[in-house]
Amino acid sequence: MTNVLWVRASYWSRLLVYILLSLAAVFTIVPFLWAMINSVKTVADTFQPGAMVPYLNFSPTLQSWHEVLSDPQVVRAFVSSVVVSSGTTVFVLILGVPAAYSLARFSFPIPSNDIALWFLSQRVLPPAVVLVPFYLLLVRLRLIDTWTGLIFCYSTFNLAFAVVIMRDIFRDVSTEVEDAAKVEGATAWQIFWLVALPLSVDGLVVTSVLVFAFTWNEALFASALTSQDAMTFSALVLASRSTRGVDFNIASVNTLIGIIPPVILYFFVQRYLARGLTFGAVKG
Amino acid sequence: MADVRIRRLEYGDRFKYVLLLPAVVWVVAFTFLPLFSVVRYSLSAYVLGRGITGFVGLANYVQVLQSDRFWHSIMVTAIYVVVSVPVEVVLGFLAAWLVNLSPPGARAFRTIIGAPLFTMEVAIGYLGVTLFSSQGGLIATVLAHLGIDIPWLSSPEGGLAAAILLDVWRWTSFVFLIVLAGLGSISSELYDAAILDASNHWQVMWRLAIPLAWPVTTIAILLRTIEGLKVFAIPFALTTGGPGTSTEVFSSTDYLTTIQFFDFGKGSAMGVTFLIMVSAIIALFFRQMRRNMP
Amino acid sequence: MSHREHADQFKELACDYLRGRIGRRRFIMLAGQLGFSTAILAKLTRPALAVGNLLPSASGAPYESPITQERVDFLKTKPYKGTTINVMVLKATVGDGLKYHVPHWEEQTGGRVNVAEVPIETLHTQIFSDLTSGLGRYDAYMTGAWFYGDYFQPEQPYIVPIAKFLADPRYPHWDPGEFLPSMKKLYTWKGELYGVLFDADSQALYYRKDIFTNPEVQAKFKAKTGYALPVPPKTMQQMHDLADFFTGSDWGGTGPGWGISLHAKVNEQGFFHFLTLAAPYVINPENKYFFFNPETMKPLINSEGHVRALEDYVKFLANGPREQISWTLGQGWNLFLAGQAAMEPTWGDLPTLAQDPKTSKVQGKMGATAIPGTTESFNPIGGGWKKYDLNQVGNTNGGSWHCVISRFSKKQEATYDFLGFMANRRNAFFNATHGWTGVQPGMRYQYLPPAGTSTIAEWQAQGWNPADVAEYLHGYYEGLAMPLQEEYLRIPGTAEYWHELDVNVSAVLGGQMKAKQALDATATSWEAITERYGRPQQKALYQASFAQ
Repeated sequence: MTNVLWVRASYWSRLLVYILLSLAAVFTIVPFLWAMINSVKTVADTFQPGAMVPYLNFSPTLQSWHEVLSDPQVVRAFVSSVVVSSGTTVFVLILGVPAAYSLARFSFPIPSNDIALWFLSQRVLPPAVVLVPFYLLLVRLRLIDTWTGLIFCYSTFNLAFAVVIMRDIFRDVSTEVEDAAKVEGATAWQIFWLVALPLSVDGLVVTSVLVFAFTWNEALFASALTSQDAMTFSALVLASRSTRGVDFNIASVNTLIGIIPPVILYFFVQRYLARGLTFGAVKG
Repeated sequence: MADVRIRRLEYGDRFKYVLLLPAVVWVVAFTFLPLFSVVRYSLSAYVLGRGITGFVGLANYVQVLQSDRFWHSIMVTAIYVVVSVPVEVVLGFLAAWLVNLSPPGARAFRTIIGAPLFTMEVAIGYLGVTLFSSQGGLIATVLAHLGIDIPWLSSPEGGLAAAILLDVWRWTSFVFLIVLAGLGSISSELYDAAILDASNHWQVMWRLAIPLAWPVTTIAILLRTIEGLKVFAIPFALTTGGPGTSTEVFSSTDYLTTIQFFDFGKGSAMGVTFLIMVSAIIALFFRQMRRNMP
Repeated sequence: MSHREHADQFKELACDYLRGRIGRRRFIMLAGQLGFSTAILAKLTRPALAVGNLLPSASGAPYESPITQERVDFLKTKPYKGTTINVMVLKATVGDGLKYHVPHWEEQTGGRVNVAEVPIETLHTQIFSDLTSGLGRYDAYMTGAWFYGDYFQPEQPYIVPIAKFLADPRYPHWDPGEFLPSMKKLYTWKGELYGVLFDADSQALYYRKDIFTNPEVQAKFKAKTGYALPVPPKTMQQMHDLADFFTGSDWGGTGPGWGISLHAKVNEQGFFHFLTLAAPYVINPENKYFFFNPETMKPLINSEGHVRALEDYVKFLANGPREQISWTLGQGWNLFLAGQAAMEPTWGDLPTLAQDPKTSKVQGKMGATAIPGTTESFNPIGGGWKKYDLNQVGNTNGGSWHCVISRFSKKQEATYDFLGFMANRRNAFFNATHGWTGVQPGMRYQYLPPAGTSTIAEWQAQGWNPADVAEYLHGYYEGLAMPLQEEYLRIPGTAEYWHELDVNVSAVLGGQMKAKQALDATATSWEAITERYGRPQQKALYQASFAQ
């Protein structure tokens, strides 16, 4: 999809655009590259900043990777993160998508905009503030250090995304198909399941990816509410400072491991993001 | 703005409430009740091992309001948000604009520039140490070659600056993706029309894209600010609030007060105070948003 | 026989007994023949220790020495096969030390140990999170001695006393009677023993003896200051002069060095440095209270003496690299081990780590001495400065990390077995002599005579340079045996009190606050904490901690 502005731009303008974009790309990539380089250094090597090119300035080794990946705690934490993030995503979809549909299609005593905004306002709550009651609640329910406990907490924080994004998506879905189905005798549920949902896959994908990414990233709650069994990768990394300070090589390996699932998801769903991220603000 | 009428489907009230209520009930249960609990704790004294030992009225609030550490953390958070959000919005918008021009290779740029949003903040914070540390850090070394010596991790200003830089790196992509989505939905006819009017396309950007993308940008600003006020992981991993407590943001202070020594009373009072403070700001934003949402 | 010969013979007997070569009964009988009171001896050699049949070693159990016959038999049954215990440890030196023994214990007893490592900034939280939630997923916690008060907060304490285990000869043998008295205190509460031996911390001043005794250096020092270079430094003034002198000049031949290395990161035990160096400013023959006034429980931390101590402490900052205010413990040690710092007030990990040629350039060059004192000291309760020739104070500052057993544990026997295993003489000696374990000697048998019963050869066998051993043990013991000791705060909430101090001291080091302001802020926070925990209870416990 070419933009007419590009087509009509002068050579210099185009060059400028490329330069700026390249700068942005470089700015973005450098930390990743640095992480990759450091992840194949030994601890001693990490103190030589000049050693930047593998095989040229230093001999790379997979020792750091081995050290991290062979720690069963790391593997467990990684699994925990995957389970908790996926579980939260699923749960949020189950709770939020029907609610979003309802807000999109029906009218309520309170304007649906306000209800949607109310959901969004839940995100204002800093986790640190509600840490205490959540902690005590989980203790009472014996859900401390369990995946379920974390999923409950994260679902609360991320429900807003599902509701706001999906509401917008549903409003875009044309109602003609739904009307036609109704004429055929479909029940409300059937219309929801078999008509509306399939037409809104874009939005579901966006919501899922966002919720997954935000949950994957969260460290504060995970740190406070888990210790051994359900500790997520985020919380584990938070606690990875050693008495020597931060080990460059370990920190780099952690970074790279930590970005794998979300970034993979991101690569797959990029094109859907365009549609879903407008949050209802643009019509056109 | 185009009007979208909400169609009335005659399936009766029950259905629509069945769909909506679980989510509402969940939020109420998991937000109102905890908030109520927080207020209760903020008015009590809590001791490790013994639970709530008494009702102390507003004593915790007095302590919080007199606490240098609390106010300092508010200030740090404020600086953090006030500096990082505009920078991210401007850079994100610019990047989105450039990518939206669809030069060949735009897909690749979009992928790269959007990626940081999907990294783990905690890991980025520690990665920041490998970048800014004066012993082997990439940036510190490069600057040293240029003869510049900035005490990134051993001074409050340096620590904050480093954290903000990392934050910009990570969250600009958030703004970028949102604005890109918004720009992408501007139909090309509008561009054609604009070209006839303006002489160069920078003018087009000013006169056309910014106004049209303003609602989306507002959302990005609002969301980014909300997230920004809650910032925790990057500064915490980078310097743990140090040296001393000079780079502690509010979430760190509240977290440490509450969970480190189980001073639930003071921690809760801190939380409530913070909420009151930011609600005023957020309410303003929300009013703006309501105007933009049809 | 003359009295002298009696004494010598008795010493020999005592050695034999302590080494396990003769049994308790025989010892008492033979000593009685020499004319010593058997009644007193019987009391001294408490039967509760179940010395019973003590063998120097047994082939079936290579990791324990000495060992009782009952234990040898017990181990044959692989008693803990199928049992797994969960231990929470500090992610660091002492955690590594514990992990080292795990496979040995597992091999001998058939049990399994799960070790969860937690960084120091969250250890206290994690321990009490686990305990207060009632879940009790851990059987033992590696605890800092300053957490003790918190274990006794609820009606039923969170940890169990170990006397009953000590009395049973089937457990690994170790003798709490060997504790240096100031150390033992940190393992007990109200007179009862709760902790099993592991680490025994104290801070001393370590310095580069080779540099200090170098004649050229000495000449330069005398020229600059007008007095001879003190080896070792005895007063704070001397310490400051030395630090200034060594900073920036090339004394090691490797380029400009630093006078002192501190690590002062917040939440990383950096505050212990301040506690240690401030002690002689307020502890003196007139006053033994550092933290609170025992009558009113009001904080003393912002007294004139404390303020001056902090102001002097800040002066040391200029004698080390700028980043040291955000350095962890390991980073502080590295500077000294790399040969770039002339002094470091810190724990015994330093000379122990110095013995590893892979990471240390200073093996054989260590000097050790008790922390210097002052010539003037303040009485925070009575008020007023007083001059002394030399007011020196010892300390047991540090975590003295060791494990305690959780009340909720369902495998207390197996847990104690593992802890006792590490406390067994052979393993304890190994710990104390290897730097990476983070363990320092707290038992008499680890020290050289006259304080203890060890020999230089024993330490040399573990890889030590003989000169370093002599210096280290002498200096370390000097501090521990001083008549004036800085109190160790052992009331509930100690972690919180010290954390407030930590944060405020760090603010002064970072230039955000002045010393008096910081200590006043600390005192205010402390008052709030005391109120919250209940002043009467805190006062009672504070006074009681001095009585033991």
